[in-house]
Amino acid sequence: MLAKKIDEVRYHTEISQKVIRRKRNLTSLGNSMLFLGPSTIFFAITVVIPFIYGIYLTLNKMDSPTDAMVFSGLLNYVNAVKDAEFWSSLWLTIKFVVATVFFVNLVGFGLAYLVTSGMKIQNSLRTAYFTPNLIGGLVLGYIWQFVFVQSLPALGDKLGISWLKLGWLGDPHMAFWALVIVTIWQTSGYMMIIFIAGLISIPKDLIEAAKIDGAGAFRRLINITLPLMVPSFVVTIFLSLKNAFMVYDLNFSLTKGGPFNSTLMVSMHVVNKAFVEANYGTGQAEAIILFLIVAIVTGIQVYSSKKMEVEA
Amino acid sequence: MVNFKALLKKSTLVGAAAALTMSLAACSGKTSGNAASSDSPVNIIVTNGKGEIDAQFKQAAKDFMKANPNIHVDVKSIAVGDTLNMYDKLTASGKTVTIAMFDPYSALHKYKEVGMDLSNEKWNAETTYALKDANGKVIGFPFAVEGMGLVYNQKVVEKATGGKFDPFSINTQDKLKALLDKIKASGVQYPVSYQTEAWSVGNHYSSLFLDQDSDPNVILDKLKAGKMDLTKNAVWNGYYDTLNLLTSKTYNKYGDRPLGQYYDAAHVAVGKGDSAILFNGDWAFDSLKAVAGDNFGFMPVPVDNNPDNPLNNKIAVGPTQVLVINKKATKSQQDAAKKFLNWLVYDQAGQDFIVNKAQIISAFKNNPNKVTNPLGVAISNAIAQNKTMPFSTNYINTSDWSTIIGPEVQKYIGKQESRKDLAKALESYYKSHQE
Repeated sequence: MLAKKIDEVRYHTEISQKVIRRKRNLTSLGNSMLFLGPSTIFFAITVVIPFIYGIYLTLNKMDSPTDAMVFSGLLNYVNAVKDAEFWSSLWLTIKFVVATVFFVNLVGFGLAYLVTSGMKIQNSLRTAYFTPNLIGGLVLGYIWQFVFVQSLPALGDKLGISWLKLGWLGDPHMAFWALVIVTIWQTSGYMMIIFIAGLISIPKDLIEAAKIDGAGAFRRLINITLPLMVPSFVVTIFLSLKNAFMVYDLNFSLTKGGPFNSTLMVSMHVVNKAFVEANYGTGQAEAIILFLIVAIVTGIQVYSSKKMEVEA
Repeated sequence: MVNFKALLKKSTLVGAAAALTMSLAACSGKTSGNAASSDSPVNIIVTNGKGEIDAQFKQAAKDFMKANPNIHVDVKSIAVGDTLNMYDKLTASGKTVTIAMFDPYSALHKYKEVGMDLSNEKWNAETTYALKDANGKVIGFPFAVEGMGLVYNQKVVEKATGGKFDPFSINTQDKLKALLDKIKASGVQYPVSYQTEAWSVGNHYSSLFLDQDSDPNVILDKLKAGKMDLTKNAVWNGYYDTLNLLTSKTYNKYGDRPLGQYYDAAHVAVGKGDSAILFNGDWAFDSLKAVAGDNFGFMPVPVDNNPDNPLNNKIAVGPTQVLVINKKATKSQQDAAKKFLNWLVYDQAGQDFIVNKAQIISAFKNNPNKVTNPLGVAISNAIAQNKTMPFSTNYINTSDWSTIIGPEVQKYIGKQESRKDLAKALESYYKSHQE
């Protein structure tokens, strides 16, 4: 009698559990649609679909987006590979990437270390260092163009410093470093925020234990802080790599490709090829090649960095 | 609790449905075309390449339609900064453009099959700037005329010369140098502010040598055939001698480092009177940021020391936008288009639209209006005095020149390249670009 009752109760509980689970699945599906739906739709429309369409476009020959498309197989890729300027602008971009990634992470980490060291004004410093990142790339470029063309030369004139007086943007090497400096100024604040989050999450007892063991500040930095910061470095190096490879707005507004195309980075070359030279097919193929290169580089970077991560 | 969940479920469905419908609605939304094969009214599409005068153009179309109730004019303007031609966009979507606005080079090359013969139109008598094709037929109505030369600040120059200044009195290189010295002596440390944008030193300055023949195509054909040795050409060398003078350390504000992003700074310097001269066209007036009432003008760019050389006494002026009538439009559309062009030339409202409303220099002698900007007035005066030579930029492929030739000229100015190398670069460009 009792056993039968228990069986009945168990049977009804199972059924109601199934019903609840189904309802929960439906509700959770509805919830997912509500919260993820719009972003997924917009992501698909603005990123995924144009990307796939872009690959399809590169298999056709088109001079401008309104031309009729002529199927031409891999002709665009052959032209892109043969384009010497593409590879030279890519090489210049790689030099820019190396300089920028190194200095941005150095300055960003230094700022973050400074700002978490317990100074009185560190919160306002945090805001101050982050503000340059809020200024958009084009506006930033025009502001710094004014600085390099008018302000620095005026300063150099008054103080008699010759390398300040001559406009930086007129010399190929100095224009390159002008670009690096402005990029560091803009993005160090952003990396600083990421590093702050990493620094704060280092367990205080580890640091205390190291202090008790007699480790100096430098030793603590090298052996405790940096290894535990590797996840943050993975993120910041990835971001600064991607930003540096794809730089366009700063390139355009600060130097427009520089004195006689000497600071023409690869994104600007692709845009010029597609729109100014009206060679849409080759430009799009170059863009796809650039994407592959950046994806491979950042993929290798993230994969090898993950190996260096240390558990606290 | 239960109500909230039900409401959430309902709102997700409604939300998803709304998002999908909105995206679909954005995709469609085609308005009905102008397919009316009609007796009345005739529908014509006019494409406008000057986005900044869209409002004025549409108003002009309205005025024209009031006077011609049987014709419907649809003005389609390009957005400022868009590089695609509106004609391409409309034709690709299946519409027939009746009047298309092109730059002269494209009208004769990329779009040479589009325009019909307009040689018998009445307005040809009022202008010398109509665009002719290789067979001498008129295919382009000159919509906007512009000019380029040495822009000078009248106040600064007259202070140095001590009296009324006639820009055409500077017709040799020596006279230009003497003027620069006078300006220096009057207290202006750097009389020239030379901006070295690739399109300016390339498309504009470096094409001037094509004017050594009254038909620049003669020179172009020689270049394309490889029969022109630029290093031995006096005019080509002469212009670069003048360029050396203008960008030199003695006279150029940026002479120590002539290359750089100086466009805005150079124009403000000349506009405010800190400097006196720069090389650009009448479109540069806004960049001068001049005080109202200050006057500016154009000097010809001297090429040698012969005061009778026509190149020393003329300013490069020509149409920068032409209107063509589409061969493929129907006869009634073409007739309506011809009426519109005549309205632009002969009707007082049309003349008013071009000059007063759109601030465009008119190519037609019978237009009594003058633009307000002093550089535009200087160009109209040069036209009236017959002191103009062809606008050499119309004969070159501007996108190629600004990306290929412009940087070479910049290298020459920056002393990274010799004149021989520059000549070689230009000659090899024409050998490989034969179109």
